[in-house]
Amino acid sequence: MDVYDNNTFNGKDDFPRKILSQLLGSHGPVHAVTYSASPGTYILTGSADRSIRLYNPIPASPSSSTATTTTSSTSFITKPSQPPSTTPPQGRLIQTYTSHGYEVLSLSVSSSNATFASSGGDRAVFLWDVSTATTIRRFSNQGHTTGRINSVIFAGVDDSLLISGGHDTTVRIWDVRSQSSSRPVQVLREAKDGITSLAVSPGGAEVLAGSVDGRVRTYDVRMGRLVTDVFPGAVTSLCLARDGKTVLVGSLDSKIRLMDRSNGQCLRTYGGDGNANGDAAGGWTNKEIRVQSVLGGGERWVVAGDENGAENSNGEGRVWAWDLLTGKLVAKLGVPWGPGGGKVVVGRDGKEKERKNVVSCVAWKDGGFGNQFCVGGTSGVVTVYGEA
Amino acid sequence: MSYKRSRATFEADLTAQQSPYVFFGTPLPPRDPEVRDDGSYVPIWKQEVRDERGRKRLHGAFTGGFSAGYFNTVGSKEGWTPSTFVSSRTNRHKDTPKAVQQRPEDFMDEEDLADAEEAKKIQTNAAFAGLGSTANDATRASGLMGLFRPQGETMGVKLLKKMGWREGQGIGPKVRRKARLELQNDVTAQGETFLFAPENVPMIAFVKKTDRKGLGYAGESGLTPIGRSGSKKGSHGDTDDEDEDDYGALGRPKLTIGGGRKKETSKIRGGIGIGILNDTGSDDEDPYEVGPKISYNRVIGGDKKKKKATIAANPTLQAKPKFITKKAASSILGKVGLGVRKCHDGRLPLDGFVFGKESDALTTEINSEGKYPPPQIPPGWVSSRTPKPESAGGSPANYVSTADVAKASTLDPKARAALLGEKQLPGKSVFDFISPASRDRLAAVTGRSDLPQALGEVPAAYARSEAEKQQELLDRVPKLDKETAIAAISRGIGGGAPYAEDEEKRARYRGYLEVQAGFRPQLPPKPAKLTDEEWLREFHEFFNCARIFKPMTGFMASRFTTSSSTKSSASTTGDTKEVVSRPPPKPEDPAEEAARLGMFGTMTRSVTDFYPTRLLCKRFGVKPPAHVQPDNYDATSEKKKDDVWSQFQSYGYQGGGGPGTVERELLGLEFGSTGGGGGSTAMADLERGGEAQKPAEVVLDTSRNEALEGKRPGDEVFKAIFGDSDDDE
Repeated sequence: MDVYDNNTFNGKDDFPRKILSQLLGSHGPVHAVTYSASPGTYILTGSADRSIRLYNPIPASPSSSTATTTTSSTSFITKPSQPPSTTPPQGRLIQTYTSHGYEVLSLSVSSSNATFASSGGDRAVFLWDVSTATTIRRFSNQGHTTGRINSVIFAGVDDSLLISGGHDTTVRIWDVRSQSSSRPVQVLREAKDGITSLAVSPGGAEVLAGSVDGRVRTYDVRMGRLVTDVFPGAVTSLCLARDGKTVLVGSLDSKIRLMDRSNGQCLRTYGGDGNANGDAAGGWTNKEIRVQSVLGGGERWVVAGDENGAENSNGEGRVWAWDLLTGKLVAKLGVPWGPGGGKVVVGRDGKEKERKNVVSCVAWKDGGFGNQFCVGGTSGVVTVYGEA
Repeated sequence: MSYKRSRATFEADLTAQQSPYVFFGTPLPPRDPEVRDDGSYVPIWKQEVRDERGRKRLHGAFTGGFSAGYFNTVGSKEGWTPSTFVSSRTNRHKDTPKAVQQRPEDFMDEEDLADAEEAKKIQTNAAFAGLGSTANDATRASGLMGLFRPQGETMGVKLLKKMGWREGQGIGPKVRRKARLELQNDVTAQGETFLFAPENVPMIAFVKKTDRKGLGYAGESGLTPIGRSGSKKGSHGDTDDEDEDDYGALGRPKLTIGGGRKKETSKIRGGIGIGILNDTGSDDEDPYEVGPKISYNRVIGGDKKKKKATIAANPTLQAKPKFITKKAASSILGKVGLGVRKCHDGRLPLDGFVFGKESDALTTEINSEGKYPPPQIPPGWVSSRTPKPESAGGSPANYVSTADVAKASTLDPKARAALLGEKQLPGKSVFDFISPASRDRLAAVTGRSDLPQALGEVPAAYARSEAEKQQELLDRVPKLDKETAIAAISRGIGGGAPYAEDEEKRARYRGYLEVQAGFRPQLPPKPAKLTDEEWLREFHEFFNCARIFKPMTGFMASRFTTSSSTKSSASTTGDTKEVVSRPPPKPEDPAEEAARLGMFGTMTRSVTDFYPTRLLCKRFGVKPPAHVQPDNYDATSEKKKDDVWSQFQSYGYQGGGGPGTVERELLGLEFGSTGGGGGSTAMADLERGGEAQKPAEVVLDTSRNEALEGKRPGDEVFKAIFGDSDDDE
């Protein structure tokens, strides 16, 4: 497998390898990226700088790309002079949503695209109006009492519910329609550790909650059943297939598993190198950081970020892609740090350190069926990949 | 004006004025009605009681009565001000610059201070015996020695008393015996036994012999002082005196031979020792009997008088002279006659032995000081046993302990073994035999890097061929019982086999199971990429994995039935919970174990009931499951609310369903339809308009709210609908 095969289309597949644009403006690591609903024209990014940004990933015109962003990145990043020719074009920043007092960890866009929900360190779920950039509701009273809210997602008929799960091990379901009740519709307290990821089945009225205690709990509202699936490591990522029959589960044992939801069997394992001991040289490892993995390309591929940056690569992160059916590695793309160049950072102790670009969040356009995807990470720059 | 004289000038002037004739000493102060003359007479009515500081306080008793504080109050001149409370939380005491420490002395007046001073004097608790002390009785060891003994009880006696000991008792555990009542003989008191303190046993003390007489010689005691002999000889009722004589003041037997009774019965012949050896055995005659039996009176004076008195006092007892032979007399003397006097072990002394006179050890030592010096060693005398100078152990100066010798020794075990002539061990260290891995572990633990290299040798006696090694390895493969292995294999056929991710491993697992089930004679050959240890470890893993499939025994199976929901596909296996009854220190969740082994499926899945609220079901657009109770709190309140809206609809108060619907409609009005094609119209609008177009929507927001509020019905409508309901919205 060729390494960092950006722009090198080898003809075997049509995996989007080309960097279409970079979305700049964040002053800190990007924790969440998501595409807007069905057409997926826009990208929302949730950043550690307490703000949410709305981008159009397609650069308006080649000439106007340098106008907006430039010196926005943090001052401690030294900037080696980079040849302008290699700089990818920049996406257009449309709106910035600033009400959060802490970092933004999760985003969810309603299917109507009129509202979106965000959560983070605030111990509250914010429901935003897209156009006015104000919060419509803040679900905080009697909410998550401690810790961050790691994940939030719309659910229910016409997105009438908001489901949030966080550090306090509870999953709370909020009623978006009810204007008066500040009480959650239901609190699911089965998890023994923090909730990291949530998923809602498209039609089946099921809520999936992945927890650090290594379990994916499927709350089947229709049947009144709670199905608990155990995984060897803390579950950090959940991605349901569109038909709802399989779910992609990422856990901190360096494996991403495609699970059959009907019987709980593992259909395919991604990551590692296929051997019993997963962390061979060059294999995908994930043992510490929540790294998102999604299905993409019409559920042909499994795309995941990487908690280890590429070695000696000027702060490059990596994105991995596997073939869904065969489990073979399809692509391993480098994610550049961004316009600042992230190679050398003077740490607090005055020593120069190389910065790792941890690619923690991935989103595929149009729920996995579009032709582009975007990744975000430590560098604060969201990189959009598309077909060449 | 400001002329100021010096003191000397002033005094000179004063002297010159007031007492011009004083040439020596200090003149009395001038008689001045204003100035009080200290020595002058003051009438009683003018006299005032003042203390030494001039304070006019009422004092009485011995040194001045009671006077405390400020005029017998707890206050001060400024009044009583309690100290303000300072929280130690914010203002730590240690941080305050100089905390005012109140001492007890601050609250003490002179009298108390004097008492405190008095209490500081040191004195002994008990008075020491001094010369002329009344407590110094004659029975005590006399002389100066008494000076150094504390009076009263010794500390040992005090300790013993605290432990329950009483004077007169012996020391030790209590003894069960019959009561010895003096009035009853042992015939009457039988059967009943009681716990008694052990008998007091006098301590033995060896007395330094200071004279040159024979052992046990008691000749001199024959001549007793007059008064004493007389009293003993005569008075029979004087038993107290005798008892006191038998025991010294320290409870030791004292002054043995020469009691009065002996004198009564036998004669003592001067200082010549006549022993029992001369006895012929005849009781009748005494070989040393001299001539006519004349009773010499050895005591000067007082004899006849006493005798008469004795006879008069007790004629029956002593009227008839009794004859007692010498042997009998001696035995009686030794035993019966001195019955109270026993050795310290409670036994009578041996025949022919008598108690020696015992005097105080310290005194005798002092007395004998210089009297009997050790013989002088002649000058030039050399002992034949003088140790040779080279033998180091001989002289104390050169003495070296064994441990020191051992430390100083430079021999190592091998050299010692050679010296002792032992057979030499093979000249190899432990490191020659341990494996390099073990050596690394040792180095890591000890932190020493200079350990010798591990060679991993195998002694010749233990060397084995490759086949033997292989056999031994195979012996270490864990054994699985046949039923379990078959169950595991059939489970694998069902599709939920472990190691789905690794085909090779699955094959090995299957091979292992087949061997254990007996389908296959021997294990498949070891894969090349695995070491022996890894291979074995893998077998253990297989064993643990397959053991889960152990079928339930009949008894257990009859008691448990597999849950239909959870174990629908598990045809052969039993309950997973039941299987993991192995004794690991921390019982592991079988599901987690299965997940670690990659056996996803029914092993890792558990199904329980979940009770969604009715509102949740409604929002999800599904019918609530059958087991959800309708009286859930959230559900009921929400249901009522929905009912309210439906009521309003039916009453015609509001046309468009619930508030959510209204909102959505309004949103749709503003931001375009929610349909698929124009799904992101809001964002598109925004992008097109840029940031400048935002305020327009805000206006519409307010209008929407007005519409909602305006259509809200009044409270009486709610009351009419709900009646007495106090349910909060």
